[in-house]
Amino acid sequence: MQEYSSQAAYDRGEAVCVIGAGASGLIAVKNLRENGFEVDCYERDTVLGGLWNPENQHCPLYPNTHLVTSRALTEIPDFPMPDHWPDYPSAALMLEYLKSYAAHFGLGEHIWYGSEISHVEPVEGSRFEVVVKPAAGSAARRLRYGAVIVATGHHWVPNLPSYPGQDRFRGTVLHSSQLKDGSRLRGKKVLVVGGGNSGVDIACEAAVGAARCVHSTHRGYWYLPKYLGGEPSDYALARLNRRRPRWLRRFLTDRLLKGPRRLADRMGMDRPEHGHTDEEPIRNGRYLEHVGDGSIERRPEITRFDGLEVGFADGTEMRPDVVVLATGYRPKITCVPAGLLGADGDPDHPKLLARMFSPRVETLAVAGLVEPGAGVLPMVHWQTHAISHWLTIRRGDPERAANFRQQVVSESAQYELESNGTSPRHALAVDAEEYLASLGRIIDTLEQEPAS
Amino acid sequence: MSLQTWVSRTRAPEPVSVKRETAVVEPADLLDADYRDDPDASPVLCCTGDPAGAAAFGALWLKRIATDGRYAAAVSVRGQGSTPAAAGGTGAFVHDVVQAAIGLPRRTVLIGHGHGAAWCAEAAARYPAAALVMVAPKKLPKRIPKPVGSPPVMLAVSEADSQSKRVQAVTEAYGIAPLTFPGSGDEVFKGPNAEGLLDAVLSWLNRG
Ligand SMILES: Cc1cc2nc3c(=O)[nH]c(=O)nc-3n(C[C@H](O)[C@H](O)[C@H](O)COP(=O)(O)OP(=O)(O)OC[C@H]3O[C@@H](n4cnc5c(N)ncnc54)[C@H](O)[C@@H]3O)c2cc1C
Repeated sequence: MQEYSSQAAYDRGEAVCVIGAGASGLIAVKNLRENGFEVDCYERDTVLGGLWNPENQHCPLYPNTHLVTSRALTEIPDFPMPDHWPDYPSAALMLEYLKSYAAHFGLGEHIWYGSEISHVEPVEGSRFEVVVKPAAGSAARRLRYGAVIVATGHHWVPNLPSYPGQDRFRGTVLHSSQLKDGSRLRGKKVLVVGGGNSGVDIACEAAVGAARCVHSTHRGYWYLPKYLGGEPSDYALARLNRRRPRWLRRFLTDRLLKGPRRLADRMGMDRPEHGHTDEEPIRNGRYLEHVGDGSIERRPEITRFDGLEVGFADGTEMRPDVVVLATGYRPKITCVPAGLLGADGDPDHPKLLARMFSPRVETLAVAGLVEPGAGVLPMVHWQTHAISHWLTIRRGDPERAANFRQQVVSESAQYELESNGTSPRHALAVDAEEYLASLGRIIDTLEQEPAS
Repeated sequence: MSLQTWVSRTRAPEPVSVKRETAVVEPADLLDADYRDDPDASPVLCCTGDPAGAAAFGALWLKRIATDGRYAAAVSVRGQGSTPAAAGGTGAFVHDVVQAAIGLPRRTVLIGHGHGAAWCAEAAARYPAAALVMVAPKKLPKRIPKPVGSPPVMLAVSEADSQSKRVQAVTEAYGIAPLTFPGSGDEVFKGPNAEGLLDAVLSWLNRG
């Protein structure tokens, strides 16, 4: 592609702008192209694959990241991963997969690298003006599009807690995204903070490599091994969702979860206050064994830092060399005015219709802003499938489009997050099964033959 | 593939993985040309119900397709050629075709012959093929699977079969007219009839 000239906004007509070339952006481009749209995809970094690419400047991967969702439930529905790959592929395989997806569908030619979108603004009703942040020494480029899909991910702005006395602490404090490789932990006294998948994985790394590993968490989680009953656990549990009647399903599910539950009790874990599908469970079979053999020492929440020391809520203290904050990320979308995402008061908590459509402008959507506790890529596939169909119908049949809009609004009501014991950090959580069913209904409506 | 079909499939066990035999002829093997030269020339993946599997396409099909500037491949599904047999039935054959397709460098054309045409038709409902070509299909499912990504579809049947009810139902489902070729639907791998058929398929793929 050649460079656009700088000054006036370049009008790309009905073309669609996709922001971000991570997994979600790639899937969006592929599905939009398949539905006949012209697409320009902007990626601020110089590589594709988003967080799975260690060459991405802000890559949040930690040592030895592997998928926590199994291959068959993580792969993109119309482009499976090679079936000889392991059940839980590594980050490197995940990147290889995304690269082969992009090559297979010729997505590269639609991506502009080194192009950060700094601002998106509605113009002429439902169209957008998009501003590409200038590279050093050049003017900002402005372009106009018929629609915008935001696929910027939500693992770029670390969520950093602050504790009393932390600024005077003399050890090293790192966010999990700064860890990169395990060498920084080797031989050290390590304190890992945060009970999510990252914290648990990193604690397991430290359990074998560090001199000592202390793990501080402040609430209960579901701890599941990666396999249950001889099958990948997400698959084993998802399969039971098909069982009827409901009591039988509950019985079978409880039976499957009983072992891990008893083990967690034995290890002194707090009981989670939410169901196992309400937020992403912890999927790591090694963790509880490390707790059991003492190579991971569990502590409650941190209460204070003090010079060389860290104190915990149970009154114990330690002197860590390294503190790793595996405290997650804040889902900030900075390039779009918060109001367009229904996040007026609180930029960290967008309120999208059906978790994807802007409540304000019909031609703005977000892909991948969900944590389904299951593979994210399939959700994004069906989201962008729906978005592409929606844009097509909106163009050709405004009346049908209006009816559809109502359905989406009522579907969305189901996702108003109730206080179900999950923390605010998990505001993106959806129950995979329910969300898929909802996407299914939305897609069915879109694909119904228009009434003539 | 609808979301619901996908959900059901992911809630059932995946067919066991087998080491699949594939035969590949690249344009560069025969000519001073590379399939990468022309991004519009999709690769082609062939599959037959004949127990010989990939080998059936070796002598004529793969060479001629590659001469046409396309990456030409054929796969032996489980139990064919040197691919070990494994459980799974039709669903597993379809799985093998899809797995072979995703291994190719670009979005591929699926050409299926005999029972292979039925597997390719099902594969095209899971994977967005660049085009779907069914040659003398056998045992196509009653409910014709709707392809994903709306690929162009071609049906080639022997003259003798062209009037059958089944062929009419298939052409109706896809909204296409069948191409007919002389001779038997089983003799598509060699001889003048086979060459004529292959040329017709290639010119359809190249129709611009
Ligand atoms: C450690 C870790 C483990 C995970 N494990 C799993 C797992 O096992 N299974 C699973 O399904 N999911 C997992 N995930 C979730 C993961 O978020 C998804 O799998 C998926 O990669 C998300 O892709 P994305 O494209 O939405 O976001 P990202 O991969 O974050 O990509 C966003 C892209 O947008 C670009 N970008 C951002 N802002 C701009 C801008 N203003 N202009 C232009 N470009 C921009 C970024 O550079 C990036 O390339 C994991 C996440 C993490 C952090």
